[in-house]
Amino acid sequence: MALFTIRDLKFTYPEQGPIEKYSAQPAIEGLDFEVQEGEFLVICGKSGCGKTTLLRHFKTALTPYGKREGEILFHGEPLEQVSQRRQSEAIGYVLQSPDNQLVTDKVWHELAFGLENLGYPQQTIRLRVAEMASFFGIQGWFYKNVEELSGGQKQLLNLASVMALQPEVLVLDEPTSQLDPITAADFLATIKKINLELGTTIIIIEHRLEDVFPMADRVLVLEDGHQLCMDTPAKVGQLLTGNDLFLALPAPMQIYEGAKSPGTCPLTVREGRRWLGRHCPDPVICMPERDHRDPAEEKEPIIEAKEVWFRYDKNLPDVTKDLSLQVYPGETFCLLGGNGTGKSTLLSLLSGIRRPYRGHVFLEGKDIGKYKNKELFQHFLGVLPQNPQCLFVADTVRQDLEEMFDGREKITKEEQQRRIDRVVQDTQIGHLLDSHPYDLSGGEQQRAALAKVLLLDPRIVMLDEPTKGLDGFYKQKLADIFAGLKARGVTILMVSHDIEFCAAHGDRCGMVFDGSVVTAQPAREFFMGNSFYTTAANRIARERFPEAVTVQDVIDLYLANKEAGRAD
Amino acid sequence: MSDTFSTYHPIINFCLFVSVMGIGMFSLHPVFLVISILSGILYCLRLKGRKCVRFLLGMLPVFLVTSAINPLFSHQGMTLLFYLRDGNPVTLESIIYGMAMGSMLVSMLVWFSCFNEVMTSDKIVYLFGKSIPAVSLVLSMVLRFVPKFQTQIRKVSDAQKCIGRDVSDGGTVQKARHGLKILSIMASWALENSVETADSMKSRGYGLRGRTNFSIYRFDTRDKTLLGLMLGAFAYLVLCIALGKVKTLYYPLLEVNPCTGWSVPAYLAYGFLALLPVTVDIMEDIKWHYLRSEI
Repeated sequence: MALFTIRDLKFTYPEQGPIEKYSAQPAIEGLDFEVQEGEFLVICGKSGCGKTTLLRHFKTALTPYGKREGEILFHGEPLEQVSQRRQSEAIGYVLQSPDNQLVTDKVWHELAFGLENLGYPQQTIRLRVAEMASFFGIQGWFYKNVEELSGGQKQLLNLASVMALQPEVLVLDEPTSQLDPITAADFLATIKKINLELGTTIIIIEHRLEDVFPMADRVLVLEDGHQLCMDTPAKVGQLLTGNDLFLALPAPMQIYEGAKSPGTCPLTVREGRRWLGRHCPDPVICMPERDHRDPAEEKEPIIEAKEVWFRYDKNLPDVTKDLSLQVYPGETFCLLGGNGTGKSTLLSLLSGIRRPYRGHVFLEGKDIGKYKNKELFQHFLGVLPQNPQCLFVADTVRQDLEEMFDGREKITKEEQQRRIDRVVQDTQIGHLLDSHPYDLSGGEQQRAALAKVLLLDPRIVMLDEPTKGLDGFYKQKLADIFAGLKARGVTILMVSHDIEFCAAHGDRCGMVFDGSVVTAQPAREFFMGNSFYTTAANRIARERFPEAVTVQDVIDLYLANKEAGRAD
Repeated sequence: MSDTFSTYHPIINFCLFVSVMGIGMFSLHPVFLVISILSGILYCLRLKGRKCVRFLLGMLPVFLVTSAINPLFSHQGMTLLFYLRDGNPVTLESIIYGMAMGSMLVSMLVWFSCFNEVMTSDKIVYLFGKSIPAVSLVLSMVLRFVPKFQTQIRKVSDAQKCIGRDVSDGGTVQKARHGLKILSIMASWALENSVETADSMKSRGYGLRGRTNFSIYRFDTRDKTLLGLMLGAFAYLVLCIALGKVKTLYYPLLEVNPCTGWSVPAYLAYGFLALLPVTVDIMEDIKWHYLRSEI
């Protein structure tokens, strides 16, 4: 018997307001599927397609308030009739934010929390906690305060404390959206390990499809609350061709579909390489078309750091060491690097929030310390923090935007409105103006915050991890906004983990390691030169098309060779 | 500095601090005060090493001020030393009482600094949660929330600085407005994010009947032995004080009990209690030294 049977599920959220009224548009509708025991099911879809709403139906304690039709059976029994106690144990949930899910202050207490709730005796808890700590490698930080943990450790702890209840099924809602790629891959590998070694059923929403697709048994794709398809990953790839979601698929699948080639669909880089080797063994055209413009040759740098040193406290080690960097007007500069290499600190130095203890930062040739605050933040510099929520102060997005004019230069109402209209159009948030900023999805919040920053009319925009937690579709929107800014001559400096995004949209890239910038090169050369820290498309094609960096490069080259009769 | 005493059961830690500080504070006996200060300083040095020296130096003015203030305001006592300008007398007893109060205050502060070091949050949560389980969870959640709030407020303040809106920008009115804005952001943030915490609690079965309390502490043999010794010493001290065998009077004349077969063991008992943490540490050091030399 199936673990979960979903029969014709439909759910409608109530409208805002005192009267019991339901919105005309159901959040999810006509869902009908089964989840088998031990299965690894990935649910994907655009933001706002009802993924999270669906996921919350797998446990009555989390089911949102609204009108539900259809049935959810757990082991053949309606879920509402399964006792809370049994549900708490058998169905484990891991949510998005590593921070907010932690309830207590100590790691060991967090592990025991669920078991305490279920009223297990001391001896059983001791054993289970010990088991979990060993399985997940937590022994090293068992006695720590949760506050001292890194994001990845926190999320692992959330997982472990759910696993301590020995659930039959683990339901995860974008568990890696707040993590960097390497930590995220580790986390997902742990999920796979649980699936393989303990036989726990996994139902996961994830936008890092390149990591989860190879792991999945089946993929469920939702679109506007409807079930678009549910099949094996390779089949889903074919079915999604031409859909917006296609952009989110793993690079090998995109290349395969884009090249319209025969053969089986590759899921991983390894399979992608093999596939390319089989179908395009010795290409004649190997170089993508490119412009040889190096912005470094032209102008004076707009942002310049000269031998900058920084540490947070006299007794702490240096975070930034002997760092020098030049960014030229009008370019999009990406700073990449692993966790804890000092990327975010660097951004705060360049934006003047923190001051180096040695060395200087120049903006347009003038030392940043000599700027007055007013000069800096009006028509000059705009900084988007990693968490956009830090910027919102009002009850609606509109008020939030209007608030930016408070206590600044005096301008007329009409002028204010004109400026707001422009950034609203630039960031495409027209339909969100009357919502509460906290009600927006991650991608929408990001754009609303960016709109606020753009109201300062900056010539330099600095962004900290702008693509964190965004799916492929929202990344594309962000890229469009960047293109618009660039066309107006705005310099963009961003710090990111997102190799694929930087490869596709950055002019130059720099690698931060050990507190300083190791290399800074035009994007293509940068990724060509790296063999490990580079895009999936480059890793797939580097033997045959060494200069191809993005998926589009590889597809173009493949098709060009096909025309030349060198590929099938 | 590794402190063996901290590794004992929280009840032992707590009882020791309560008995040493309680007896020192309520008896105000000069011998107890001297023992308490000296052993407190020793333990503080043992726990915090050099960092403690500055703290101890800071205690000196506290002592001086307290002992100077008392004779200025209290004019009781038989032994008249001289008259103040305004005609009030200064007595020997009031000076001595002031010094006693000063040393009591200093010894309490020193012991409290040790208490802070030894009684970490989880021990306190454990102790008080034993009697009221709900309190222990609330305490634990508060201890989780406060640092999280602080981190977030720092982030928000940085983010606001980026758009030229920090508490350090603008005139006084502007500063206040920016500060209020940051607080208002924090309020919505706290409410918004606690929803997810609540979900995480619910989904892990919070609110079901029969919640138990898990702790990592075990009461073992060495805890039992030490608790027995401590209780013995404490009971004897309480008995002596109750029978008036150990007592002191500051007004109208300074009067301390004579050294008798009752009082000398009482001093020893108090010394035992006050020096217990340091003794336990030193015995452990010796043990390790011995073990190592055998290897």
